[in-house]
Amino acid sequence: MSQQSLEQRFQGLPATVRQKVDAVIDDAKVALKVRVGELLADKDEVAEHAVTTAGRVGAKSGEVSELTAIMPLKPGGAERLRKFFKLVDGNLAGAGDVGTLHNMRFVFLDGDTKLLFATAYDGEWDPYIDDFATKIPEMMDHLFGNVEGWPGIHSPEVKDFIVQYQLPAEAWFVAHPNLTVAGATRLKRLDRTVQSFLTELN
Amino acid sequence: MSTDHGSVPNLADVQAAVLQPRPTPYAGTYLALRIDDRRQARALVQRMLPMLDSVASFDAERQVSLAIGFSFEGLRAIGVPEDSLATFSPEFQQGMAARAAELGDLGDSSPANWEGPLGSKDLHLMLVGLAPDTPRLEAILLLARDALRDLPGVATIWQQEVFAAPNEREPFGFKDGIGQPAIEGAAIPCTNSREEPLKAGEFLLGFEDETGSIAPVPQPDILGRGGTYAAFRKLHTRVADFRQYLRDRAADRADEELLAAKVVGRWPSGAPLALSPDRDDPELGADPHRNNDFQYGDDPRGLKCPLGSHARRMNPRDAIITGEVRLHRMIRRGTNYGPPLPQGVYEDDGADRGIVFAFIGAHLARQFEFVQAQWVNDGKFIGVPAEKDPLVGANDDGQFTVPRTPIRRRFQGLPPFVVNRGGEYCFLPSLSALRWIADLDT
Repeated sequence: MSQQSLEQRFQGLPATVRQKVDAVIDDAKVALKVRVGELLADKDEVAEHAVTTAGRVGAKSGEVSELTAIMPLKPGGAERLRKFFKLVDGNLAGAGDVGTLHNMRFVFLDGDTKLLFATAYDGEWDPYIDDFATKIPEMMDHLFGNVEGWPGIHSPEVKDFIVQYQLPAEAWFVAHPNLTVAGATRLKRLDRTVQSFLTELN
Repeated sequence: MSTDHGSVPNLADVQAAVLQPRPTPYAGTYLALRIDDRRQARALVQRMLPMLDSVASFDAERQVSLAIGFSFEGLRAIGVPEDSLATFSPEFQQGMAARAAELGDLGDSSPANWEGPLGSKDLHLMLVGLAPDTPRLEAILLLARDALRDLPGVATIWQQEVFAAPNEREPFGFKDGIGQPAIEGAAIPCTNSREEPLKAGEFLLGFEDETGSIAPVPQPDILGRGGTYAAFRKLHTRVADFRQYLRDRAADRADEELLAAKVVGRWPSGAPLALSPDRDDPELGADPHRNNDFQYGDDPRGLKCPLGSHARRMNPRDAIITGEVRLHRMIRRGTNYGPPLPQGVYEDDGADRGIVFAFIGAHLARQFEFVQAQWVNDGKFIGVPAEKDPLVGANDDGQFTVPRTPIRRRFQGLPPFVVNRGGEYCFLPSLSALRWIADLDT
């Protein structure tokens, strides 16, 4: 698209949107300004992906929340964790038992002295921490026991401990904000049923 | 002192009302008192101690009980030291009104619309008397009132009579009070042979609970140990709205009864849908050995009892949900107030009727507030984020799904059928803790 028609598209946006865009990214290429401006002007799209708070720390979009934490590792902690991850080939399949977990990852930082833990999950973790602790306490303590100062999953201080190392995401996007893990499971079942019905119909 | 330091609760030190089921039928009274003079309040506790039964001394023949509970402001008003107050659970310290957002007490149920003095800082001491009939209730209340004589520094500021309807049904017309949990070492008969008794620490402070640990006990130990928390709520029921909603959507009278049972999870007699999915079975409903003796494992889709029905939400038993059912069990005591709406009446008569609901458990956040937020006012735990409890949820144009083959039924436009008129969090001390409070010298 020509520079001129991009300029026209930008001028076609509501004045309030143009002012907002100009105030923050005046120096950006007009193509980017159009893209951001059109996004901001699309009220339905913006509302569907609105970012709220997941509790004390963390962002939430629809039903899906994020948790990002960087925690100091005990000496040798990274080595022990690596051995464990190797044992299961980096596959944490059993975590599906939790029922609200979309994904999670473990990354070592700063020459194996720190652990980055990042996850996306449904709802709020605060009310469910005891449930996770009761469901997979040995796993939680085995993994996080390598973190300096880990109080133990049953400790009343464990929530405060995690919050202390949590870093709030400044931006958060989820493709289907209102699709929970349980909802996706239900849709998969529904699709199987519909597909087999259609197959038999033929 | 009769406090124990073992892992088994001393039932001779726990207030009877904490663990003893309420009588059936029953008559009862809730009294709220304001403490203006701490020494007189202590004198009252001292006078009442001989009237209080423990779980062990409770007379199963007489079935009369009197219970004492304190709000957080009440503990402060009677002179419990600040460093001790700080050791109570944060939710209890804040009080129920401050927890409105967590509890879904919004709109008509919001504290701004509560009946005074509920939700105010004046509500200090709760006395609850329960008996099998009015004469026996009067007798125990007479004793309580006598204890209050010449103590102008303790004022009665609220009173609520509760009683069983003649047919022992709650205001919506269903048998109530089924499904209490069994507790380790509590010597209360278990009614679901498939549920392992819960650890004592779920219901009494100072003992091991279902997480395998002992939660922090309010200090000093003598004050906290063997005590527990209670939450009471005066819930107004919109019975005519409930009946109209069902009638407007049902094909005929039988369908109306089926739909009501699907909403509740039980038939009017108390017979569970899990055991009798197609019709009421009064014999089953009346049998305490059978009416709670079931699971949901053979009904994962909810074809017999919908996943979202009230009773299945309140205790999902062995159903697959997000989280652990055993961490969110509670003792529930529902009692009726107001005249029942006669059967067959669909128009509201303007009378105030409902339930004074009482929760008892050692963990306000993990039990009462969790259930209210996740099981009553949400549906994510059963995979339906768009739905709330169809009977008691804070619905506003709500939705309820009844699984059925080949095609489910879905009901929309659900209004709220229950409105909270107010309530409070209380601490129910052990008998030795009450003695400690009576002997305070602050």
